[in-house]
Amino acid sequence: MDALSWDGTLTSRDFLVSARAFAEKWKEFNSAFPPWTWVPCPPKQPPCHLPQLQQQQQQGYLSLEKTCLPGSSKKGHVASQEDVDEISLTEGEEELEPVDNATLVETNNSPQVCYYDFHIVYSDSYRVPVLYFHGYYIDGHPLALDEIEKDLPACSAKVLLESKWTFITQEEHPYLNRPWYKLHPCGTSEWMKLLFLGDDSLAKNGVAVEQYLVSWLSVVGQVVGIRIPFEMLNNPKSCN
Amino acid sequence: MSTVESPSAVRKVVVHLRATGDAPILKQAKFKILGTDKFAKVIEFLRRQLHRDTLFVYVNSAFSPNPDELVIDLYNNFGFDGKLVVNYACSMAWG
Repeated sequence: MDALSWDGTLTSRDFLVSARAFAEKWKEFNSAFPPWTWVPCPPKQPPCHLPQLQQQQQQGYLSLEKTCLPGSSKKGHVASQEDVDEISLTEGEEELEPVDNATLVETNNSPQVCYYDFHIVYSDSYRVPVLYFHGYYIDGHPLALDEIEKDLPACSAKVLLESKWTFITQEEHPYLNRPWYKLHPCGTSEWMKLLFLGDDSLAKNGVAVEQYLVSWLSVVGQVVGIRIPFEMLNNPKSCN
Repeated sequence: MSTVESPSAVRKVVVHLRATGDAPILKQAKFKILGTDKFAKVIEFLRRQLHRDTLFVYVNSAFSPNPDELVIDLYNNFGFDGKLVVNYACSMAWG
């Protein structure tokens, strides 16, 4: 692709290429973290004619599931402090019914652990990747936005206040048809263009589709606290 | 995080701030910053200089550094000619 006339968007085919390259790089340089996996999806509607069928065969999304956000550990600390008090209190008493004890531990401790699932889904209307996410307690109970907010980096909480409707919104997941949160993609192609035009070598050699998702996640990841290892950014493979 | 200070961590890094798009150009585009400072300090400096709350800040290898990264780490990985080039634009990522 010629970088100067490029508008910052991707085709769904390029998204697939970029997603595969990204998942491989992530596995190579970030092996301590759970991997991103490609989830293929069947066509949403029965295809009426052939060209549509060919396009829909490439549909799917990248998925990173059951991760903890850095901020979520704070909650755990508060909980353990409470737990210590509870334990010393129960020890002072002579006889306790074991059933009550178990209930006490469960209500105080387990709901504090929360997990996040992240999906990178291609948007046909914006022609860019979109981050969908979903937070839940260990028992599967979903987190509300104000609870998620506590796990987000401080700068995101600030943006959340200023741009209420153009930042994080709750919408139906395009493939799962359940309410998920998503990062609004209306500015994505603009800043992707900036990112790629700023690089002189890219401007000369054309846009490396393989590198698109790495660059994209360097911006999007900051919102939710996903870090990208430098090694992933260091090796732009020129596949032209 | 390590508490041991290696000699390379105390050194200063030359940061070259480059305007892109319609962002105003700074009178002084190059300045020195401690390698042990976080990238957040560079962003903060730009915000104050340009009187803008929202800026899009990125580095030459087509990515936007996390504000928590250390300047020295960015320099060691992405610096060249003795400096770290940081691009900035006045567009907003969100909203």
